[in-house]
Amino acid sequence: MNFKNQHPVKTPFLVATGDDIVETDVLIIGGGVTGTGIARDLTLRGLNVILIEKSDLNAGASGGNHGLLHSGARYVCSDPEAAVECSTESEILKKNVGHCIEETGGLFVAVKGDKENYIADFPDMCKKYGIPSEKIDPKEAREMEPSLSDETIAVYKVNDASINPFKLSIENINDAVSRGACYLSHTRIEAFKIENKAIVYARVRNQISGKTHKIKAKTYVNATGAWAGSIAAMAGIHINMVFSKGSLLVTSKRITKRAINRLRKPTDGDILVPGGVVSILGTTSVRIKSPDNIYPTVKEVDYIISEGEKMIPELKTCRYIRAYAGVRPLVSMGKDNDRDVSRGFTLLDHEKDQVNNLITITGGKLSTYRLMAEKTSDIVCKKHQVSVECRTKMIPLPSTHSGEWSEPGVLVNDPFKPDTLEDPFLCECEMVPASAINTVIDSIKKNGGKPDLSSIALRTRIGKGPCQGAFCSMRILSHLYARGEIMDQTGINDLKYFLNERWKGEQSLLWGQALVQSSLKEMIHCGLFGLELVKK
Amino acid sequence: MKDKKYITCDITVIGAGFAGMVAAARASALGLKTVQTGNSSHLYFASGLFDFLGVYPLHSRTVLQDPLTGLSLLQKEMPGHPYSKTSLEAILKSFDFLTRFLQSAGLNYIKPEKGNRSVLTSAGTFKPTCMIPETISKSRLLKNDTNLLLVDFKGLKGFCARQIADILKKNYPNILTLSVEVPGKNGDLNPTHLATLFEDSSFLKELATQISPFLDKVELMGIPAVCGVNKSLEALTRLEKMTGLDIFEIPMMPPSIPGLRLKNAFEKKLAKNKVHFLSQAKIKPPRFNGSEFVLDVMNQNMETQIRSRGGILATGRFPGGGLHAQRGRIQETVFNLPVYQPDERSLWHHLDFFEKQGHLINTAGVETDSVFRPVDTHGAIIYENLYAIGTILAHNDWVRLKSGSGVSALSAFTAVNDFYKKSTTGH
Repeated sequence: MNFKNQHPVKTPFLVATGDDIVETDVLIIGGGVTGTGIARDLTLRGLNVILIEKSDLNAGASGGNHGLLHSGARYVCSDPEAAVECSTESEILKKNVGHCIEETGGLFVAVKGDKENYIADFPDMCKKYGIPSEKIDPKEAREMEPSLSDETIAVYKVNDASINPFKLSIENINDAVSRGACYLSHTRIEAFKIENKAIVYARVRNQISGKTHKIKAKTYVNATGAWAGSIAAMAGIHINMVFSKGSLLVTSKRITKRAINRLRKPTDGDILVPGGVVSILGTTSVRIKSPDNIYPTVKEVDYIISEGEKMIPELKTCRYIRAYAGVRPLVSMGKDNDRDVSRGFTLLDHEKDQVNNLITITGGKLSTYRLMAEKTSDIVCKKHQVSVECRTKMIPLPSTHSGEWSEPGVLVNDPFKPDTLEDPFLCECEMVPASAINTVIDSIKKNGGKPDLSSIALRTRIGKGPCQGAFCSMRILSHLYARGEIMDQTGINDLKYFLNERWKGEQSLLWGQALVQSSLKEMIHCGLFGLELVKK
Repeated sequence: MKDKKYITCDITVIGAGFAGMVAAARASALGLKTVQTGNSSHLYFASGLFDFLGVYPLHSRTVLQDPLTGLSLLQKEMPGHPYSKTSLEAILKSFDFLTRFLQSAGLNYIKPEKGNRSVLTSAGTFKPTCMIPETISKSRLLKNDTNLLLVDFKGLKGFCARQIADILKKNYPNILTLSVEVPGKNGDLNPTHLATLFEDSSFLKELATQISPFLDKVELMGIPAVCGVNKSLEALTRLEKMTGLDIFEIPMMPPSIPGLRLKNAFEKKLAKNKVHFLSQAKIKPPRFNGSEFVLDVMNQNMETQIRSRGGILATGRFPGGGLHAQRGRIQETVFNLPVYQPDERSLWHHLDFFEKQGHLINTAGVETDSVFRPVDTHGAIIYENLYAIGTILAHNDWVRLKSGSGVSALSAFTAVNDFYKKSTTGH
């Protein structure tokens, strides 16, 4: 790893006391793919940035999606503009962030009973908007993907791919930090000080230490996704946000080689995307009132499976290890159905709202994150009278070591790494050795973060295998104590928090073998350790 | 296909977890000819601590100093709970039987003079329990001002002396820690291997040498619960003599060595009592021919038919395989007995893992009469001579109540006694 600080001015911020003001060119709020993408883009254009995130990387929609890099074909009938954006962007990303992408290819599959006219229009629409698609004989398709239903009636091959959003954000922020950016996790905006139609400074609070600081920037970028409305409201600006929850299920093994889409108007339970050694099935689209505390329900899980099994019957009986939910941040245009609201992004220069140095970027898709970052950075640069062109189209994103362990099954097939006394596997399901945990701990500390189970889990596969943290949680906690990373009783709360976060993803799909594992987990952590009796 | 083998006996125990072992122990001690099937390796998940009743009511989240105060309330409020089917006397008798049986197999358990006891765990928490292996019992000597040495072993995953010391130091400030490298060890260090090393005197000598710089600073020592497999108390006593310290073991996550000791002790004594054990056998759905209980089992390509006069179902819950959950319903796997359960899956689990009332699914299970014979939804006995015991029983969230061993011992003891009484008096 190489964390060269070309502008080593910002880091003292971390030890700043109460009234200290830290200055920077741009304060980015939100550590998802957009925020980290903007951080990289702006530093490549020579600006100083600080990025703050209220929890940690990809805590919102960036961490709650399929990881599908759209070819554009999904939107070709409903939202051609978004389809074209996806198509162009996915080709750029395959070139420049290839180490975060697996070029799986994709299939659009119709089964008996699906609407004939949609199937008939699909190839023409693809052609019209320049999105490559190729008709495949259903029989041949079932040889390519044996798990497809024998009721498959039409298949098209497209250029879909899978992308690891965690690795993407980790690498983007690492690259930005290498150019002097500062990343502050667990840091929340408390207030903006506004004078003469501009934000003078932002008061922020570190969620762990409780300390507040002031950050004074020339420009403020609100890249908080579903929370964009509440951040804008702090500057007295109203954005009409709509929250659409999407739930997804993770299977215990990879079911198809390619991304599989249902060949019909986009709706629920119609995409299965491979992600390393697992597959991800989704989604739903449920209008919700608030983007906080969301989780998949039993009803949603059953519905997604019942839809998915029509394309791939194995989805009815396979084992699921986790469910999770994300919130699509949509800006309302008065449409009733959230799937009809454009999946295109919304970029607002709040100069029009009498706050000259605040920009909001929200909506959009994982596939177009780079474009969103580019357009946002263009406005920032214009305000700063910086005439450097966007460079993320050209310059490949460097690959550092610290993003590597977020990839599913990165070591599972490596027969050469044995379980040794010097470097034991602390997570046996996903075969994550102590040395990998140490690399991640070092990288968290270098970025000013606190290594604990949750921050390590964000950057590795720990807790994501069949045991869902029953064993690795305690092993890694012990490892943290042995290294002196934790030196008080807070590790117990850390453990409880981590297990509960895992649990939110498990509780809706506990039957069969998954229920056996969760019973064992409760036997260990409640039966033996009595964690349910530990009061804060 | 080899010839089918036939065995005739008095009673068949299906299951070789804790409850099944107690049932086989009781049956063989009463002189009943006993056949047992199952997989005893699940005892690797047993902590080796015998709980009676640790928490009641659950929402209090408060440990019971004395299980009897909780018991009388539980019996009043939860008529379906296994403890409510019987008297305190029966519970105590079953514990007495169990400890005597294990003692005769060379495994000593200590009962506190009064109430529950808190045992220090590897998480740095204290677990309320009732009966404790003698090798763990000196944890009672730990007082707030004790000079304690905690020892861990490099490579033994999930046990860190510094962790326990850091978590406890607010209330127990005088804890020192030592991390021991196991000499000549390469590769993964698993608890069973380490436990075997403790029975080797040269290992103990080396260990005592590494501890020696601490001897004038501490009076008590805690080590992970890996101090020997079959001769644990001897190993512990030898180390105490070498160091002059009082020593106790600290239970840790599975694989559990105190659980392994239980497995070995039961197996040794049950073999002596001539219990016929069919290990890891696949069973076919059993049937009753009138009062004859017929069970066909397959193990090592050999088919055996067991004919007996009664059956004991001790197959456990989900991990043991006694209950199986499909996406919507929970089933009993051997007899397809009626299972008391929540109406739908959305009620099985709470959104908070640590929810103080526990998860509703953990109250699901088989309902029985007062001698643990399964009953249908109308309360009618299903088979005259079939008993269900242990964690498969309904209305007992044993993980949260800390009542697992107690309910298992009680139900095993009561069921076997009832069968014995009936078979000797001819009812």
